[in-house]
Amino acid sequence: MPAQQSTQDQLYEEAATSYGPALERLARAYEADVESRRDLLQEIHISVWRSFELFDQRCSMRTWIYRVAHNVASSHVLRDRRSKLQTLVGVEELDNVPWTKDDPDRRQALDRLLGLIQQLKPLDRNVILSYLEGLDAAEISEITGLKPGNIATKIHRIKGILARRFQGGNDNE
Amino acid sequence: MNKSPEPSLLKLWQCQPVEGIKMSADEIRKRSIKFERKIFWRNIREYVASGIATALFVWFFLGSHDTLFRAACALCIAGLAYMTYQLHRRASARAMPMNLGAANSLVFHRTELERQRDFIGNIWRWYLGPLVPGLAMFSLQSILAAHNHAMRAALVNSILVLSLALVWKLNAYEARCLQGRIDELKNAEQG
Repeated sequence: MPAQQSTQDQLYEEAATSYGPALERLARAYEADVESRRDLLQEIHISVWRSFELFDQRCSMRTWIYRVAHNVASSHVLRDRRSKLQTLVGVEELDNVPWTKDDPDRRQALDRLLGLIQQLKPLDRNVILSYLEGLDAAEISEITGLKPGNIATKIHRIKGILARRFQGGNDNE
Repeated sequence: MNKSPEPSLLKLWQCQPVEGIKMSADEIRKRSIKFERKIFWRNIREYVASGIATALFVWFFLGSHDTLFRAACALCIAGLAYMTYQLHRRASARAMPMNLGAANSLVFHRTELERQRDFIGNIWRWYLGPLVPGLAMFSLQSILAAHNHAMRAALVNSILVLSLALVWKLNAYEARCLQGRIDELKNAEQG
C-alpha cells in the first residue's frame, strides 16, 4: 500500500473513532428521513476519507472534519430543498418557528431541538450545531468563515431562544 | 432575563443515543468506488432521455423527403447534442471535491450558489438557444406546409414561443433568488 494512502487511511480511522458520534448527530440535524440520513452519513464519511489526501495540518483535524461534514451536509440541504420546497429560516427568525411537539420528556425535548435545527439555513445550522458540540467561537469562526463577533451575536441569540423554549415555554404557544 | 440553556442542553445534545456506525478505511474505499459508480449510472439515466429524443429526430429525418423538415430535424439533433454536452459539463452529478476541508462554510456555500446561479442564469446559451434554430425551422416548415391551416400553425408556433419565454422567465426568477442569497452570504463574510 502506498505511504500516502496508508496515512490517509490512518487519519480516517482516527477521525472515525473520535468524531463518528458527532458526525452521526450532525447528519441527524441535517436530514430527518432515516434512509436519506444513512446515505448522507455515508457521503460524509467518504468525503472525510477522500479529503485526507489533501489534509495539510494548517488547521486542526477537528476543524477540517467539521468543515468537510458541514459542507457535504449543506450541499445535501441545497439539493433536497429544491425538491421539498421547504422554507428555511435564519437564527434571527428562529423564535417565530413553532414547536412541533410540546412534551417535556427527554426524547421529545431532543426531537423538538432537532425540529428547530432542521428548519435553519445551512450556515446558521452550522453555528448552532458547532455550539451544541461544545466548540468555542474561534473554532466556529474557522469552520464557518463568519467573523467571531458575528458568531458571538448568533450564539447569544441561540442561547436566548433555547433558554426560552426549554425553560420558560414557547412564546408562540 | 433568560437563563442559559447550558449545560443541560449541550448534555442533551451530546449524550443522545447514536448508532455508532463505524467503517474501516477498506470498507470506505469500497463504498467510495460504489458511490462513484452510482453517480455514473445516475448521469447515464439522465442522458437516456436526450438519447431517445435524438433517436426520434433521426427517425423523422430518415422518414421524410421534405428538405425543410429534414433540415429542422438535423438542427434539432445538433442542438440536443450540444445541450447534452453542456448538461454533462455543467450539471452532471459528481462526487464531492477532495478539498472540502480547505474551504470554510461561507466560501463553500457561496461558491455552490454562484455555480447554480450561473448554470440557470445562462440558460439561453446552453439549453434554450441550441434548440431555437431547429424549432424555428420546424415553425417555418409548418407555416409553409399549412396551406389552409395557417391559423393553426400560427397558434402552435405562438405556444412554442410562449413556452420558451416561460422557461426563460422562471429560470431568470430563480437566478435572482439565488443572487439574493449570495448577497446575504457576502454580507455575512464582511461581518
